[in-house]
Amino acid sequence: MRTLAMTAGAIALALLVTAGLILLAGKSPVTAYGALLRGAFGSLDRVAFALNKSTPYILAGVGVALCFRAKVINIGGEGQIAVGGIAASAVILLAPAGSPPVLMLALAMLAGAAGGAVWAILAAWVFIKRNVHEVLCTLLLNFVGVLLVSEVLRAPLGEDGAGFPQSPLFPRAGWLPKLIPGTDLHIGILFAVAAAVLGHVLLWRTTFGFRLRVMGASRPAAAYVGVSTARATFAVMALAGALAGLAGGIEVSGVHNRLIEGFSHGFGFNAVAVALIAGLNPLAVLPAGLFLGFLEAGALAMQREVGVPSSLVYVIEGLMMVFVLCAVGLNARNRRV
Amino acid sequence: MDLATLTELLSATLRIAAPLMFAALGGLLSERAGTFAVGIEGMMLAGAFGGALAVFATGSTAAGLAVSLLAGMALALVVALATTRFRADQMVTGLAVNILSLGLTSFLLRGLFGGRTPVIRLPTLPAWPVPLLSDIPLLGPVLFRQPLLVYAAFLLTIPVALFLAKTRTGLMLRAVGENPEAAFAVGTDPQRVRVAAILVGGAFAGLGGAVLSLQEVGTFTDGMTNGRGFIALAAIIVGRWNPFGAMAGCLLFGAVAALESRIQGWGLPVSSYVVQMVPYLVALALLAGIGRSARMPGAIGVPFVRH
Repeated sequence: MRTLAMTAGAIALALLVTAGLILLAGKSPVTAYGALLRGAFGSLDRVAFALNKSTPYILAGVGVALCFRAKVINIGGEGQIAVGGIAASAVILLAPAGSPPVLMLALAMLAGAAGGAVWAILAAWVFIKRNVHEVLCTLLLNFVGVLLVSEVLRAPLGEDGAGFPQSPLFPRAGWLPKLIPGTDLHIGILFAVAAAVLGHVLLWRTTFGFRLRVMGASRPAAAYVGVSTARATFAVMALAGALAGLAGGIEVSGVHNRLIEGFSHGFGFNAVAVALIAGLNPLAVLPAGLFLGFLEAGALAMQREVGVPSSLVYVIEGLMMVFVLCAVGLNARNRRV
Repeated sequence: MDLATLTELLSATLRIAAPLMFAALGGLLSERAGTFAVGIEGMMLAGAFGGALAVFATGSTAAGLAVSLLAGMALALVVALATTRFRADQMVTGLAVNILSLGLTSFLLRGLFGGRTPVIRLPTLPAWPVPLLSDIPLLGPVLFRQPLLVYAAFLLTIPVALFLAKTRTGLMLRAVGENPEAAFAVGTDPQRVRVAAILVGGAFAGLGGAVLSLQEVGTFTDGMTNGRGFIALAAIIVGRWNPFGAMAGCLLFGAVAALESRIQGWGLPVSSYVVQMVPYLVALALLAGIGRSARMPGAIGVPFVRH
């Protein structure tokens, strides 16, 4: 309850500060936030758009929450999503024509998850075996993963003659089915909900989850009671990578129906923001991810209607993170005394 | 490779390394006092923005530098408050500040000009040849025919190194980074030292951003630092938290980046994307190479708790 109140306070404070910025830009915060709300909830299509936007944040956010619980600061979501997207696209584009859609999509999503997992394990390997801080490993691999998308679009998967680095449109069988026919809402959100629930069960109801929590409390203590911290680190990174990779597969197949350059832009950091706002609780990642998805969807509408730049979302997000972090730190301090 | 190409390549190495140098020296001060400097990416971006905007508005380079310094410090203040007063996690606070900086600079760029992105085109700062020295063959054009801020970036290493190694305050700063309890016991306030180190670090990182926008590019674009702050972080580690080591790291990344932008012209059968990956992969390989031998400041990442 206390944490909920503090999170709400952090969000309110961030929105308040941002209102000041909108004033500074010579617009009315009331009008701007009104446009934002309409853009987020105004119609079934807007809601569908926002739900699709939330999906990758929730999926990758659950992975980040699990990692952070174990004090493994995995900020490699963007690279893992990018590589997952590449793997899923490769399966869809290279599958023989006439493959059964269910099989093709299942394989594509699996490939996406595997691709993301491999990328995360690579970072975990450098972290565990070579003792390089995981923030730097995951971060540097983000840049490489994103460039890898451009590289595969240049040669093997790219569309000839397209003005933009993108793959050819996927065959229909490679499009993620719609959840509500007639809207853009695809079934990805179901995966996101499942990930949040399963992540919750994993963290609080399994031995592995317990190990992660012990490790988060103290690595030496975990090692002392017989937890292989290296193995647990690999496992949680692989899991988070798989979730992020799946998010990448869902994004290309469900939203763009093709691989395009920059499709993962900012997703990794958003996943971190979402996990933090959720207090590192996988189940709470669901509302936090939805919040961010609707916020972004609304901000895009706000930019169109009122002319307030949508980059304001990053300001809100950054402020929110800082405030939540301060609240968490303050809380820990009070507990200690 | 002929002499002209080599000269040009080495000269570009120094130019590209200069913004990294400012950021790395700033981050190094913060980290030696015990605070991870993940936020220098955002501080650089803020400095690049503030510098470009100030020169755009006033036409004065000095004003640009001053504003960039303040912009970097403003973000550093957020980090300092959050990590000392509120004991927020240092890594994630740094990331938050980076996102904040990306959003704020992009928003203000449009918001301050009525929703329209202004075209900021500034003359890049000219080379400032050192008399006599710049006439030395090869060395002259490489070392002594650079814009002023390149000299400043490298010369700054000396006072920073002397400060850390030879002064009482520098010793205090290092003590706070290694063992804040011990520093506290002998009458130093670790929080104040950390705040000061983060603020000065932010000022340096902001200047680094200004070097980028005023000297190299001559404009500001959204997210223009594009990971340079993180490369500076890698340089700090590669240089093992030593100012001259960090300089070597920055020069190395500068050389890789200088090669990267020229390799296209040589008609090698490598795509530009693969070449762009090189600095990040080199950073990763170097970090993995020094791996266990790199010893971080002892108390880095740990908030100081007064008992």
